[in-house]
Amino acid sequence: MAPKVPPQPTLEQSSTAAEAGHGHAHEAPPKGLMRWLLTTNHKEIGSLYLIFSLVMFFIGGIFALVVRLELFQPGMQFVNPEFFNQMTTMHGLIMVFAAVMPAFTGLANWMIPLQIGAPDMALPRLNNFSFWLLPVAFGLLLSTLFMPGGGPNFGWTFYAPLSTTYAPPSTTFFILALHIAGISSILGAINIVATILNMRAPGMRMMDMPLFVWTWLITGFLLIAVMPVLAGVITMMLMDINFGTSFFNAAGGGDPVLFQHLFWFFGHPEVYIMILPAFGIVSAIIPAFARKRLFGYASMVYATAAIALLSFMVWGHHMFVVGMPLVGQLFFMYATMLIAVPTGVKVFNWIATLFQGSISFEPPMLFALAFVVLFTIGGFSGLMLAIAPADFQYHDTYFVVAHFHYVLVPGAIFAIMAGVYFWLPKWTGHYPHERLSQWHFWLSVIGVNLTFFPMHFSGLAGMPRRIPDYALQFADFNMVSSIGAFLFGFSQLLFVAVVIMCVRGGKKAPAAAWGDYADDLEWSVPSPAPLHTFETPPNYQRPAH
Amino acid sequence: MRTLLVWLAGGLSLVGSSQAALASGWNMPVGVTDLSREIYNLHMVIFWICVVIGVAVFGVMFYSLIRHRHSKGAKAANFHENTTVEVIWTAVPLLILVGMAIPATATLQKIYDPSDAELDVMVTGQQWRWRYEYLGEDVAFNSNMSTPRAQIRGDEERGENYLLEVDEPLVLPINRKVRFLFTSDDVIHAWWVPDFAVKQDTIPGFISENWVRINEPGIYRGQCAELCGVDHAYMPIVVHAMEEDDFETWLVERQEMAAEEALGVDREWEMDELMERGEGVYGSICASCHQVEGQGSPPAFPALAGNEQMLADIDWHKDTIINGVSGTAMPSFRTTLNPVELAAVITYTRNAWGNDTGDAVQPAEIAERLER
Amino acid sequence: MWGVIKSVLAAFLGVQKEQQRREDFEKGNPMAFILVGIIMALLFVGLIALVATWAAG
Repeated sequence: MAPKVPPQPTLEQSSTAAEAGHGHAHEAPPKGLMRWLLTTNHKEIGSLYLIFSLVMFFIGGIFALVVRLELFQPGMQFVNPEFFNQMTTMHGLIMVFAAVMPAFTGLANWMIPLQIGAPDMALPRLNNFSFWLLPVAFGLLLSTLFMPGGGPNFGWTFYAPLSTTYAPPSTTFFILALHIAGISSILGAINIVATILNMRAPGMRMMDMPLFVWTWLITGFLLIAVMPVLAGVITMMLMDINFGTSFFNAAGGGDPVLFQHLFWFFGHPEVYIMILPAFGIVSAIIPAFARKRLFGYASMVYATAAIALLSFMVWGHHMFVVGMPLVGQLFFMYATMLIAVPTGVKVFNWIATLFQGSISFEPPMLFALAFVVLFTIGGFSGLMLAIAPADFQYHDTYFVVAHFHYVLVPGAIFAIMAGVYFWLPKWTGHYPHERLSQWHFWLSVIGVNLTFFPMHFSGLAGMPRRIPDYALQFADFNMVSSIGAFLFGFSQLLFVAVVIMCVRGGKKAPAAAWGDYADDLEWSVPSPAPLHTFETPPNYQRPAH
Repeated sequence: MRTLLVWLAGGLSLVGSSQAALASGWNMPVGVTDLSREIYNLHMVIFWICVVIGVAVFGVMFYSLIRHRHSKGAKAANFHENTTVEVIWTAVPLLILVGMAIPATATLQKIYDPSDAELDVMVTGQQWRWRYEYLGEDVAFNSNMSTPRAQIRGDEERGENYLLEVDEPLVLPINRKVRFLFTSDDVIHAWWVPDFAVKQDTIPGFISENWVRINEPGIYRGQCAELCGVDHAYMPIVVHAMEEDDFETWLVERQEMAAEEALGVDREWEMDELMERGEGVYGSICASCHQVEGQGSPPAFPALAGNEQMLADIDWHKDTIINGVSGTAMPSFRTTLNPVELAAVITYTRNAWGNDTGDAVQPAEIAERLER
Repeated sequence: MWGVIKSVLAAFLGVQKEQQRREDFEKGNPMAFILVGIIMALLFVGLIALVATWAAG
């Protein structure tokens, strides 16, 4: 008996259909809102992801500014501690799950089919579904702020039992929201992995793929591996809260530490999920503006895989002060220190690419260079945190806050912005406004360092994280941080201005917008990229240089 | 191996001492124990390693950015791999890391040796105070933040030790190995005193240990380091480290006080006495959730003023305070408060803010209830 | 077999001669590399655990 499979258009069929000008099988595309609700086009879905993430970036940013406003000086001035805790929690959740992750997924949607010469993602309808889950998830999450008892107030790491027995009633909604966002991530990851493995242009082998595609392939596997763990742990919370189980309740025979093991088994790979695609973007931009081929392509791929592998065996370094056996402590310390090696390899490769290049400083390059410097600083503080005995002093202080903001803001977010500046000519057909982009860059760099560098000092001097009020010796550092945060926050409006101006007009960009060394397949299609590209698969040729 | 360790330790302390002067206010404190000094040295060594690598890496980078500019007509070279260089920059960091792991391991081994302790102190985290119990010495007390709320609101000028002062500091002897046993009654807290380099999570249902041997007498301050709810910022730690003789005197004093308090259980208490004592207990223990005027902050923390269930059922009221309500933020005060304090606070909550029941609950009755 | 192990080791280190890499990708059997890779990864975890146990005394 033949299995019942829905009829699937082969590549030839779909390309001929498209060549015939939206052929017989397709109805006229819906207009207005329905067009965006129903779209299965990877470029449109990519844009939706990017716009969603930008909106969430501002919402999460406003939460951060509420936090920084309250911390401008000691004492409670503007909000109460209860609301402050909701702000820190929501800032973390929104930035991680609704800003950074969807931004990378958006870039993947736009660029991966273009970079591998595929007409679209492997599973276009699933793609649409993955995106539209996100507004639902985060609408639900944000609505908890208006519920009786307020929104989640237990930090983005939501340690039990603070997030179970002692949590506000809205926590069940928080769990549901995270479940929906998790499903969206898993589906998105499956789609990306399927696209990369199955839809490369004829002649393109794995080791020919651009690094953004490689890093996303590995990120996709990381997501598929760890999002179910997150789903598991929040389901256990759900049971504890609503159905009387005691997974994390010591009084019922449960184990609060189990929560942390599960959470960080998800959480540490999650950190790399937010940085690996950034490595891919930077590895595309640096060669383009150094006019020189990327140094050590193969070792970049290996290093990415090594980082991903190591990310599964270091979760315990988030738990050094929980109280582990000495062997466990040593295991996690050694494994964590080892991550410095492949990460170092990446940084060395970028610098070797720059060395003896012919370097120019267009906006994408500025952000990529700032990424290399500032991400490395975040890496150094990460290395310091890996030393378990020293971590007894650093743990849960502003030193940690400084560390992860250095890898996430001038790390992940600068890389996203670099990517946006890099690919805007491909998306819109125009170059971003040069002078305004430069202003955006310099104000962002100054703002970011003003915000996060003093946090190293306040942390070392002994300021714990997640406190709404602090002792007087931390006042100066906090004042500087707050000023920096407002500078950084408001300069992002320039980014919005640049993007809007670029969509509307500007200097026309040719197909190969950034010259000979930005030579992946996306630069072979016209700028702006038409709605349908690579309907006939291109014949992949290895670059000459 | 041993010589290598000694050599490394010597090198570390040299780097450490030259840096100590820079420390205050911007850097990790050197602290007042041998281990805190060792940790400080580890911190400085790894810091300087990062600085050296950073200078080298960024040096090459900025050299390239300046010398190999397109606008200055730089022509790009055409190399894109070099196995020798790649092996070097993989192997060198690996060696540096091994060099760093050895002293870190040695320090960790010392931290993990709580044997031969001369004094055991049980530290219990509670929302939002610390409870200290000198095991086998019959001394136990709660330590609450003593910074007035008026200073937090800004109605009063903030004192020098704003948010870092308590009503009852933990008192410890110097030059003795003190073992801590950490646990929690509710959520996870973390007990941290930077000068001791001791930070340990307190976890409900678990007991973890750590230890300290303080070298210098003094007053050392720290804070809870793990988000534990609304008043996370308001559960500081103050340790008063004393000469051994002074500590012994203090301990005897506290034991006598405890014995006196125990006698109070058996006598009849007047309403006024109970109310006065109860107001103090309520202020330091209950007010952070149920608020000074008993108005609570629903839905998490119900109002006590005019609470019908509480006023109608005195038995339920006693039971709630002694045993807590499982599945909510209301903890059990069975061990935190003694019978006098329990009786006083029950009496107070039944008679304050217009709850005029007239009930005076006697400590003896509570003591009997606790025995059951 | 030894060649596969050597290549996987080189991949763990992230350094490989271009010529050798090309050869592996053209002639090698992907399953063999993946299998050896997984086994070596497990060995690697075991090795760190062993060192940690030894250091813990």
